[in-house]
Amino acid sequence: MKKVTVPEQSTVEKAVRHAAAIGVAVKESVYPLTATVQYPRQRKKMPDNFRGYILFDPEKCINCWECAFICPANAIRMKEAPNKKYYPTIDYGRCIFCHFCIDSCSGGALRATKIHDVAYKDMDEMLTLTEEMIEPPEIIREDKKLVEYQIDEKDLRLKKTREEDNLIVEKAPPPVEIQMVSQCIDRASCIGCHVCEHVCESGAISSSIANGVMRMKIDTDTCTGCGLCVKECSMQILTLVRK
Amino acid sequence: MKMVTESEWEVNVPDKQLKDKVYFENLKSVVIDTEMCSRCLTCAAICPGGITVVNNKVDFPDYETKCLDCGACVRVCPRFVYEPKSGLGDYIEFTAGRSKRFAGQDGAMVTEFIVSAMEMGLIDRGLFAGRDENWATEMFHVRDSEQLTITTLGGTKYTFADVLPELKKAVMFTKSGVGVIGTPCIVSGIRKLQQEFPIFREKVKLVVGLFCTENFHYDDISNFLKAKGVDFSKLVKTDITKGKFISTMTDGKVKFKVTEAEDIVASGCNVCTDFTAVESDASCGSVGSAKGFSTVVVRTEVAKKVIEFIRAKGHADFGDADPAQLDFLIGHKKKRAENIKR
Ligand SMILES: Cc1cc2nc3c(=O)[nH]c(=O)nc-3n(C[C@H](O)[C@H](O)[C@H](O)COP(=O)(O)OP(=O)(O)OC[C@H]3O[C@@H](n4cnc5c(N)ncnc54)[C@H](O)[C@@H]3O)c2cc1C
Repeated sequence: MKKVTVPEQSTVEKAVRHAAAIGVAVKESVYPLTATVQYPRQRKKMPDNFRGYILFDPEKCINCWECAFICPANAIRMKEAPNKKYYPTIDYGRCIFCHFCIDSCSGGALRATKIHDVAYKDMDEMLTLTEEMIEPPEIIREDKKLVEYQIDEKDLRLKKTREEDNLIVEKAPPPVEIQMVSQCIDRASCIGCHVCEHVCESGAISSSIANGVMRMKIDTDTCTGCGLCVKECSMQILTLVRK
Repeated sequence: MKMVTESEWEVNVPDKQLKDKVYFENLKSVVIDTEMCSRCLTCAAICPGGITVVNNKVDFPDYETKCLDCGACVRVCPRFVYEPKSGLGDYIEFTAGRSKRFAGQDGAMVTEFIVSAMEMGLIDRGLFAGRDENWATEMFHVRDSEQLTITTLGGTKYTFADVLPELKKAVMFTKSGVGVIGTPCIVSGIRKLQQEFPIFREKVKLVVGLFCTENFHYDDISNFLKAKGVDFSKLVKTDITKGKFISTMTDGKVKFKVTEAEDIVASGCNVCTDFTAVESDASCGSVGSAKGFSTVVVRTEVAKKVIEFIRAKGHADFGDADPAQLDFLIGHKKKRAENIKR
C-alpha cells in the first residue's frame, strides 16, 4: 500500500491557500454559481420542440392507428368515439414522452406542448381520454421568472427574466421534413385487388381497366406518404420512399 | 407484363367464363361445385378478401359483398385451367435414402432435405405440417434443427394441412428463402404462384413433394378411425401400405383395407392423376424402396445440390430403389380419374 503524505508547506504558502478559499466563499455568497432553478417560482425556458404533454385535434385524424401501433410503451389505446371513428387515448402512467406518436402522425392531429408538470391524484386519472386531449390541461402557474441557461466559455450561467413562458407551442419549429411517397417495389407481383386505392385518403391511387389489362397509378404529387396503402397491401409490395 | 415506373404499372386481368359474376363465383362454378377442388388452398393464400374453408369445402362467406373481384384466385388455382400431370416426370436421380439424424414416416428424407437445405444456407426456414393431440394438422416454421425434437413434426398425417396460407406468411418473413413440403396438389399450387408472382419465385427455394394417392378431410377421417376403435390419445403413427390403413397405437394396431375408406376420400383427389408430385424439386414416398427407407426422386439442380450435401456430410444411408414399383399406384390414379370422368 502506498501512503499519501501531506506535502510540506511553509506558513506563507498555507496563508495564500486559505486566502484563496475565503475568496471563493465570498464570491459565491455575492454572485452564486448554482444551476438550480427555483421551481415553481421560476420556470426553465424549454425549447419549442420540447417533448411534453400531447394535444389532439380530431379534425385532422385520419384514423390510421399509427400512433397506437408505434407507441413503445403501449400507452396509446384507440377508443371508439360517438362518430364511430377511433381516436387515441394516452395513459400518462405509461407514456415515456418519446413523441413517436407525434412524429408518426401523418395527419398532424397530434401536437406537442411544453407542459411537463401536470399533477394527478391517482393512476386512473393519468389515463387521458380523447376529449381531455383537445384542450391543454389545467396547471397552476406560480412562476414569476423565466430562467434560461447560458453557457459561456468558462461557466454555465442563469439568465433570469420577468417573463411568463407560453407553454402552448403555436408553431413548432418545422421538423426536417422528409417527404415520402408510396411506391410499388414488385409490380409484377401485384394481384390487382386495388385495396390500396380503396384505403387511400387523398385519392392518389387510381386504377382503370381496358382490354383485359388493369392499369394502376400512384400520383406522386397528391400522395401524402401516409402509408395506409403500404400497411393494407396483402402482397406487401408497396413501400414508402423519399420523394 | 409491361411496366412503366414504380408508380405506374399494369396487371393482366384473367378471363372470366361467367362474365357478369365475380371471380370467386367463377372459381366456385368451375372448380368447387364440380368437386374438382383439391383443397390445396392456393386461392386462400393469395385472396385479399377472405377465401377460407367452410365445412370441408373451400368457400368465401359473404363473397357478394367482400370479394374484391381481383381474379387472383383464378390466376393461381391449379384446377381452374387444369393441366393434369401424371407419371414419374423428369428426374436426375431415383434413389432410396434413410436419414441418420431424424425419425420420420419412412426414411425421414423429407425432413433431411429441408434441414440440410437450411444448413447449406439455401433457406432460412422450412414449413412443416405438425399435428395437435387430436391429429389435426398445424403448420410450423422450423428455423433450427433443434425444433425437430418435436416428434410430431415428422410423419404423415392423412388429412389436409394449410401449407399454402402459411407459405405466404413465410415468404413475407424470410430473408434468404423458404423450403416447403406438400402433396402433389400443393406443389402444383406453389408452381402456379411462382408462375404468376415473382415474390414466390424469389423466395420459395425448395419444394419437396410427397407421393400421394389420396387424402381425407379431418372430420371424415377422425370419425372413421374412431369408429374403427382408434384411440387418438394413444395414436403414434398412421400409415397406408400395401392397401392397408394402419394406425399404430402405444398398445396395439388397428388395420383395415383402405378401400373401406373409399367413400370418404376427398372428392378432389379422385380427379387427380399426379402420384409423384411431378412439379416438385424432389419428391419422396414409401413405395419403391425397402422398409425404413424413403424413395427419393431428385428432379432439379437445386435438389441435386442438397442431396450431394447430404451425401458429402454422411447424413443418410442410401439404398436401392425401383421406379417400376410405382407403376401400380400411378396407374391406379389414372384409372380412378377416368372412371370419375365417365
Ligand atoms: C396424404 C398423404 C398420402 C400419401 N400417400 C402415399 C402413397 O400412397 N404412397 C406412398 O408411397 N407415399 C405416400 N405418402 C408419402 C409418405 O407417407 C411419406 O410422407 C413419405 O414417404 C415421406 O416419408 P419421410 O419419412 O421421408 O418423411 P418425414 O421426414 O416423416 O416428413 C414428412 C413430412 O411431410 C409433411 N406432411 C405430413 N402430412 C402432411 C399433409 N397431410 N400435408 C402436407 N404435408 C404433410 C410433414 O411436414 C412431415 O414433416 C403420402 C403422404 C401424404 C401426406
